[in-house]
Amino acid sequence: MNSTAIENNYNKLKARAEKNLGSLENKTVIWVGTATCGRAAGAVEIKKFFEEELQNNDLEAQVLETGCMGHCYADPMAIISKPGFPPLCYGYLDEGLVKRLVQDFIKGDDPCYEYALVALEPNDIFPTFEDFPRGLHEEKIILEHCGFIDPEQIDHYLATDGYAALARALMMGPDKIMEEINNSNLRGRGGAGFPAGLKWEATKKAEGDIKYVICNADEGDPGAFMDRSILESDPHLVLEGMIICAYAVGASKGYFYIRSEYPQAIKQLKRSIKQANEMGLLGKSILGSGFDFDLEVFVGAGAFVCGEGSALINSMEGKMGMPEHKPPRLAVQGFRNRPTALNNVKTLCYVPYIISKGADWFNSIGTPGNPGTAVFALAGKVANAGIVEVPMGTTLRHLIFEVGEGIPRDKAFKAVQIGGPSGGCLPESALDIPIDFDSLQEAGAIMGSGGMVVLDEDDCMVRIARFFLTFTQQESCGKCTFCRLGTKHMLDILTAITRGEGEMESLELLSELSEDIKVGSLCNLGKTAPNPILTTLRYFYDEYKAHIEEKRCPALMCPELIAYFIAPQKCSKLCNVCVGSCPVEAIYNRDDGLKAIDQEKCVKCDNCLKACPTDYNAVIKVSPPHLVKEMEEAM
Amino acid sequence: MSEKITITIDGKEITTDTEKKLLWVALDNDIYIPNLCAIREEERPYAGCRLCFVEIEGLEEPVTSCTQPVTEGMVVKTRTPQVDRLVKTSFELLLSDHRLQCNKCPKNKACELQKIARERKLKLKSKRIKHLERTFQIDDSPESFALDPSRCVLCNRCVWVDRNVAKAGCLGFSYRGINRIITTFNNVELTKSACTQCTLCVEACPVGALYFKE
Amino acid sequence: MELLEGEKEVIVNYVEGILEEFDPVQENLVPILQEVQERLGYIPALAMEMIATALDLPPVDVYGPATFYNQFRLVPPGKYQFKVCMGTACYMAGGQIALDSFERRLNIKEGETTPDREFGLEHVTCVGCCTLAPVVMVGDQVEGHVTPTRVDGILLAYDAITDEKENEGDK
Ligand SMILES: Cc1cc2nc3c(=O)[nH]c(=O)nc-3n(C[C@H](O)[C@H](O)[C@H](O)COP(=O)(O)O)c2cc1C
Ligand code: SF4
Ligand code: SF4
Ligand code: FES
Ligand code: FES
Repeated sequence: MNSTAIENNYNKLKARAEKNLGSLENKTVIWVGTATCGRAAGAVEIKKFFEEELQNNDLEAQVLETGCMGHCYADPMAIISKPGFPPLCYGYLDEGLVKRLVQDFIKGDDPCYEYALVALEPNDIFPTFEDFPRGLHEEKIILEHCGFIDPEQIDHYLATDGYAALARALMMGPDKIMEEINNSNLRGRGGAGFPAGLKWEATKKAEGDIKYVICNADEGDPGAFMDRSILESDPHLVLEGMIICAYAVGASKGYFYIRSEYPQAIKQLKRSIKQANEMGLLGKSILGSGFDFDLEVFVGAGAFVCGEGSALINSMEGKMGMPEHKPPRLAVQGFRNRPTALNNVKTLCYVPYIISKGADWFNSIGTPGNPGTAVFALAGKVANAGIVEVPMGTTLRHLIFEVGEGIPRDKAFKAVQIGGPSGGCLPESALDIPIDFDSLQEAGAIMGSGGMVVLDEDDCMVRIARFFLTFTQQESCGKCTFCRLGTKHMLDILTAITRGEGEMESLELLSELSEDIKVGSLCNLGKTAPNPILTTLRYFYDEYKAHIEEKRCPALMCPELIAYFIAPQKCSKLCNVCVGSCPVEAIYNRDDGLKAIDQEKCVKCDNCLKACPTDYNAVIKVSPPHLVKEMEEAM
Repeated sequence: MSEKITITIDGKEITTDTEKKLLWVALDNDIYIPNLCAIREEERPYAGCRLCFVEIEGLEEPVTSCTQPVTEGMVVKTRTPQVDRLVKTSFELLLSDHRLQCNKCPKNKACELQKIARERKLKLKSKRIKHLERTFQIDDSPESFALDPSRCVLCNRCVWVDRNVAKAGCLGFSYRGINRIITTFNNVELTKSACTQCTLCVEACPVGALYFKE
Repeated sequence: MELLEGEKEVIVNYVEGILEEFDPVQENLVPILQEVQERLGYIPALAMEMIATALDLPPVDVYGPATFYNQFRLVPPGKYQFKVCMGTACYMAGGQIALDSFERRLNIKEGETTPDREFGLEHVTCVGCCTLAPVVMVGDQVEGHVTPTRVDGILLAYDAITDEKENEGDK
């Protein structure tokens, strides 16, 4: 009888949502992607341009906001759906293009196909995602709605079967949910890949009548932004996962732990929680089931280490975000010393799908032991940067060269950094490794949170290792000896190497320290901090050697080991561009009209090299720097 | 509820009871394990100094003995190549950031660092790890004692005593990572803080960071 | 840091108001500090003492967290705060070069504020627009593809530097 009540309550909500949305049918709708990535590229202005242009032309069309479609390289973007045409997606928008689209497409009937990127529904005229290599490999589960619904309106989520899984879960009861999650073999997406079922089970079984669920949206990896994107684009999906988790483990209160650097996502979450409360999807007796659950947002104050469970709890309790020895696990003794289930944003996003479609369906995607999909924030030297979702088991090569469409400007691939500061750099030879928790770990990287940075021949591997060590060293909480002092010494050694002041013996010390810090540190920040060093030492030893023995940076990147030089035979005496581009006036006109660089003054800012017209390309970098003298003398 | 159990440390059979942490069982039975941050009365060990490693049969990696509850039949080794290597590195790291001038230090001969060096035959000056040259302000405002952060090993003992025994609420840590430092509120002199000059923290300090003036 | 004339009253007023909005428990420490910083731009020692009293904590337990987290600053920021992204993508695309340029032009180091409190410089890690790397944030505004020339452009827009080259040309 309870079941019918739940079903009825849900159906009422859904019917109402569909009715509200029905008003959009047979109307022209323009969806502008206004997640943080879109905003940074000017999406808010683009939205304004559309509205103004429509008004100027007295045209009827609705301009709505949507989240991030994952194709951030083409931001700002918009989808135009006009009756009679498939919904079409346009990228790289500016004022001119907006005017043109309004004139030709909204007013006229010319969809400007030359500017369209892709159609969102199968049709006879224009290709859809499935027709691109990216579409071939991508399989969207948790990103399905991102960028295609208005995250500010709960009706959009409800109309796409949102919260149906919650209604179903409430009818199934906690034990059946547990069974389904256990059978799904869902592994945590926060980094370690711990089975979600086991964690939930432990929380459920732990003694105590008050329990908590916390969603880890700290996303501290300096190159990852998938969680942010999901929270901004499809917040109700995370809410739904949270509520189901809470119901299964018997929690009455839940928190989102989110970083303050994500103001847009925080706003979106707070709005969504309010909406869900108003609809009876949160609060007392959810959907009439008798289950009470409340959600709150806790805004973190910025410390990477607070992504670690016990540090996160300490910071929520008003203390320094310092990790504790485990056990006790959070499932037994977490927030306020009560049993607490902590899960990553993405982990929770899979939950509604698993409840709706079943564990077998989930296991049919990906590989045995690593079911489901992997979500990455693809950045660096890759043509199509953005957010991608592929089945586990896809190879790195497919991901980078087909989904990401390879390295821009005909440069050569050098390495891919996976998992951020806790992860590692994998070389060309590792590209055929399937993406899953275990294979990546074997290769020395980790799945981590999902940051993936592609590096090309211009990127120095010692420098990237140093970059991550700088980060972990700054973010170490300082509680334990290995991490506090170990990372400092490793960073000092790396800094010396990038300055050409390194010694071969220090490489040995570097790997010794790495091994000890890995075993000896208190928490996983310290335990994984050496990974970027260990992998670069393992796969790019020669680059370290060149820095130390020849004082040469093979990628021409380390400022102390390079010099800029203007090749006289290439320089057009008549052009003065480089002189003006130099911020410190290091470039001067020689008596013979050629340009030259005062090496003492040069700050290696790269401006002149970028400024020199491609017709000449006269500015070059050399390493080691003393080569400049030889070249000048040879003249 | 505790029960009597038997464990073996370095071949020696010891009867003890559950709920005790391995470090204390060893120390109470005259088996030395290096330690700086452990406090017997504290239920939740701080586990920051990373010096108390031991190997336990059946476990792949060394564990910190201050956090390890004893269990029936547990077989422990306090000295193995793996353990010695970790302790050596941890010790060298600590000393790389310690103003080392034993002959001028008031804690000379009563210092835990010296004890660890003696017990484990470790050098106070490391050959492989560079010394970090950092200078800190010494606070000698209290009548009978002073605080020199350049000798502090961040063991938390003084803070624990300050909160749990003296109940003054004067000492704490500030900043993060390598900048973490023992401090008063807003880094004011001890005499301008909540310090009652009870000197309990000085007695708790294992090194020469908090010391009695001559 | 010495408080200026009248600053003390402002702080007391604001902090008293903020403390009324929260239950006086340690769990609310971080949200309270965030609120103080939001309204005052930084967390003065006086505010920390008031918070400690209200939450019944030793003041050093407010000072600790206030110095631990990246978000909090104990000195007033510049009126315009330049935040240079040092996330992975930005760093590899020249974030350090952009930071160096700001330091050179403003004549301050990262983490500092110009003596007139007009401009401040700091770094952030990944603001989530890696595709525009290197990125600099001025207030809430994101500037993409920041080369040293662009740095000069940004600073000009905020009157942080005068265009020396033009001036020289006039001479
Ligand atoms: C230093 C450090 C930072 C972490 N940062 C995050 C984070 O930003 N987001 C996250 O979900 N997990 C993070 N984790 C992992 C969490 O501790 C935890 O394992 C995870 O949130 C559990 O969720 P899952 O089982 O769904 O993956 C971090 C761990 C460490 C050691
Ligand atoms: S490993 Fe680093 S972050 Fe973790 S407890 Fe130790 S010092 Fe803190
Ligand atoms: S002053 Fe002494 S007791 Fe206090 S943390 Fe430092 S070393 Fe430990
Ligand atoms: S005594 Fe065990 S870690 Fe310090
Ligand atoms: S690294 Fe700068 S925005 Fe991501």
